[in-house]
Amino acid sequence: MSLLELKNVYKIYGDLHALDDVSLKVEKGEWVSIMGPSGSGKSTMMNIIGCMDKPSKGEVLLDGVDISKESKKNLTTIRRDKIGLIFQQFHLVNYLTALENVMLAQYYHSMPDEKEALEALERVGLADRAKHLPSQLSGGEQQRVCVARALINYPEIILADEPTGNLDEANEEIVVDLFHKLHTEGTTLIVVTHDPEVAEVAQRTLVLRSGKLSKEVVNENFTGKIHFDS
Amino acid sequence: MKKRKMFLRMIFASLLRRRSRMIVALLSVAIGATILSGLVSIYYDVPRQMGAQFRNYGANMIFTASGDELELAAVNNAAALIPDEEKVGVAPYRYENVRVRDIPVVAAGTDPEGAKATSPYWSVDGNWFTGAGEMMVGANVAESFRIKTGDMLEVTYTPMTDDSAADADNVSYFTVTGILQTGGSEENYIYMTLDDMSALTYESDRVDLAELSISAGAEELSGYADKINAADDVHASLVKRVTASEATVLTKLQALVLLVTIVVLALTMICVATTMTAVVAERRKEIGLRKAIGASDRSIIREFMGEGMLLGLFGGIVGSVLGFVFAEQVSVNVFGSSLIFRPLLVPITVIASIAVTGISSLMPIKSATEVDPALVLKGE
Amino acid sequence: MFLRMIKGILFRQWKKMLMIAFTIALGASLASAMLSVMLDVGDKVNQELKTYGANITVIPKESSVLSELYEVEDSDKVGAYLKEDELGKIKTIFWAFNIVDFAPFVNADATLDDGTEVKVVGSWFDHHMELPTGEQLDAGVASMRSWWELKEGTWLDEQLLDDAENGAMIGKSLAQRLGVGSCDMIHLKGKNGECELKIVGVYDAGGEEDEQIYVLLDTAQALAGLDGSVDKIEVSALTTPDNELAEKAAKDPSSLTAAQYETWYCTAYASSICYQIQEVITDSVAAPVRQVADSEGAILEKTQLLMILITILSLIGAALGICNLVTASVMERSQEIGLMKAIGAQNSSVTLLLLTEIFITAVIGGTAGFFAGFGFAQIIGRTVFGSAISLKPMVVPIVAVLVVAVTLIGSIPAMRMLTRLRPTEVLHGR
Repeated sequence: MSLLELKNVYKIYGDLHALDDVSLKVEKGEWVSIMGPSGSGKSTMMNIIGCMDKPSKGEVLLDGVDISKESKKNLTTIRRDKIGLIFQQFHLVNYLTALENVMLAQYYHSMPDEKEALEALERVGLADRAKHLPSQLSGGEQQRVCVARALINYPEIILADEPTGNLDEANEEIVVDLFHKLHTEGTTLIVVTHDPEVAEVAQRTLVLRSGKLSKEVVNENFTGKIHFDS
Repeated sequence: MKKRKMFLRMIFASLLRRRSRMIVALLSVAIGATILSGLVSIYYDVPRQMGAQFRNYGANMIFTASGDELELAAVNNAAALIPDEEKVGVAPYRYENVRVRDIPVVAAGTDPEGAKATSPYWSVDGNWFTGAGEMMVGANVAESFRIKTGDMLEVTYTPMTDDSAADADNVSYFTVTGILQTGGSEENYIYMTLDDMSALTYESDRVDLAELSISAGAEELSGYADKINAADDVHASLVKRVTASEATVLTKLQALVLLVTIVVLALTMICVATTMTAVVAERRKEIGLRKAIGASDRSIIREFMGEGMLLGLFGGIVGSVLGFVFAEQVSVNVFGSSLIFRPLLVPITVIASIAVTGISSLMPIKSATEVDPALVLKGE
Repeated sequence: MFLRMIKGILFRQWKKMLMIAFTIALGASLASAMLSVMLDVGDKVNQELKTYGANITVIPKESSVLSELYEVEDSDKVGAYLKEDELGKIKTIFWAFNIVDFAPFVNADATLDDGTEVKVVGSWFDHHMELPTGEQLDAGVASMRSWWELKEGTWLDEQLLDDAENGAMIGKSLAQRLGVGSCDMIHLKGKNGECELKIVGVYDAGGEEDEQIYVLLDTAQALAGLDGSVDKIEVSALTTPDNELAEKAAKDPSSLTAAQYETWYCTAYASSICYQIQEVITDSVAAPVRQVADSEGAILEKTQLLMILITILSLIGAALGICNLVTASVMERSQEIGLMKAIGAQNSSVTLLLLTEIFITAVIGGTAGFFAGFGFAQIIGRTVFGSAISLKPMVVPIVAVLVVAVTLIGSIPAMRMLTRLRPTEVLHGR
């Protein structure tokens, strides 16, 4: 059984078909990119997979459970337990330190554990920045805090929405390296991006166009490392 | 246990690290609390303080003889039945017909200190009489006899006895210390101490009446009067003109302050609520984020309410202190006397500010939790 | 473009702007309510204090010096009286409008059938007057002795003439001593006549009046043989508390300079009203009753001061409240402003935009608040004093200046913050 399966999913806003009969499968431990220009339905798909929105029609099976029929409250619980989110704009609570931001995810999930949170920061190489506030961190460091926050509860899927959109190349590489590390540890990764360089790193790239899956590219020589054209 | 620690850690982080916003919110709560505790303090103190002002109208209770004669000692005994802190003044009076330059005049013997307290509206051109041989003259008397302050007057009294041997006139000499103006019949009398009066008339201890100025409400006053009348030595009656009018005016004044307090409080509390709403509304994004990483609506509401209530607590404490300081200033400036501290007001103020901040944060938090986290995070 | 942006903000963000306008309206209503009440409270309390009765008494010139002194021994008066037909003139003086009540009194000594001597006082009860100015006034002891408590029967009603001429009200103590009550008849024999009166009411005045009989002015005049004369007039007037000038003038008006005299004469001091009454009533002396006049002054002053301080507190509260909300709501929009700066807006143009926007909101909110506040003032006036609070024109500019100044001042910290804002930081959500 696949970890995630979308069966004929539609999302319709009035006349606009943001998602138009999309079906896909993601296996456990896979690293998948979803690519497409803006307006192609990437964000809608990301919201549906991230349990922040429901499809108008179709089934979304996460770990065998159809989340398209769940209530908002249950969606929150499923999101909390199964999904780690990473955003383009980082979205850290600006008055909490890096450590506390990580602990926040633990707090809502189960029990805050300072040691474990510190370990997570260590994994993203930010142990020495634990007591800093987001405003004292660089963009790359902030995104790494987000990664640490996303993985702290051992989610089934890490869902990243344009994770490198606000980063320079050096930080982009650091973040992609982190993804690679997570992948080798067996975490399932879904990265939504419009940046081909980032998308190509994945094992498989799905291309969305006008709400439909238009192309699927399998990366034959998968290394998990980013290589820049320049 | 750990969870609660994190809860507190988050709230304090929010309060301390978002300093400028929190100061805005705290200031607004504190203003509300200051106005609440200040106005309520004033409201409760107005009857007492204004009551003291109404004592300007003079005596509100009169002692007269219940039998044939009224003794000074009986007056003092009866006056002792009234608590000292409510007693503004007691002035016994004894009136006798005397002659000045062979023209009959009414002379009053009294205690100058008591008279000063019971009749604060008496205006004296010169000084009050204080001891033996001193006299104060009513304005009408002064005008008709052409008496000036500092003049020496011969006062004659003819005893009313059957014994012709004692029929000789008693004569005393007095220095006029001041001219009394009241706009009433007092201007037709001359005033001296009770001792001088006794010396002039060979009688001691007898008075005609005593005026009392008591700082108390109409019901308490009639209670005192009943108590004194029950003792049978003295007949106490209320000066209706003063007591009835005081009750009317004082009730209105208190109603005025009450209504003003209600209006000001209601408006201020709404003001506090809108500011709190604005402060919370600003954090919609953060609420969305917390939801995205898995917070339930309930826990978000709990955290933000906790924060708001903590603000309410601090604001309430600051406001109670500032409000008392303000009320004290008003009391000293307007009435020239200190305020009574009411400890109960502190918890009331604190609870009210917690309630107002709590309720006013609840609405925007609730509406923020209803929004899709995805929408909020995309920046609407 | 500027106007378009303003319009955009006002119409598209109307919810937020509405909240700011609402708070400004609250502040403005608080300010205007308190100011209206404060400015009118003097008149209102003054009116209430009229329950203490007359604050000015008018007596004939000669009697003011001697007659009351002689009265002790010999009640044969030396013939100094005021003229009854001059009474109406009191309502023609400069401060006529401030004279709320007045009543003439004439004293007559009478003997009852059993030889008891009683003091009979003639006066008005609820005398209806049509003044030459077209004004109407009901004056008399019914309103000037408001503290009298009716023990039995009713007040003497002058409008029911048949009853009134032969009616009398009697003091509680005297009634007790004589063993009479309402509806009993008493026969009075005065110096100059006699009459048979029906007691319509027994009152408790809590003073010397409890030993007296009150009858109509005509009745007492007939008893004493003093047709057309009165002994005393009591006047109840709205006065301004005395100050130094008033005290100086009260001693001797001629000691004032022309300008001082003008000020004094045209201010409603008890002494200037007295002076004006003396001008219209022949051979009279009018003097303030210190017990009433002084206390009135003290209480008025304290009440006004109290209200001023409460007003100041609420003004400060309203000002800080508005400041606070403006700050909070401008801070909230840091992102939008960062964006504007990022696309090249100068600090000055951003500030101008925000200020215009807040100013428009303030004007709308302030206007609404002013009327709401005036409404609150009316509620207070109606509930407490049973009469409307008059609108003082000076409230309008005070509230206007206050609202504008406070909103602008409230924007300063927010403006400072915004101009220091670096667009990149804001847009990256730090």
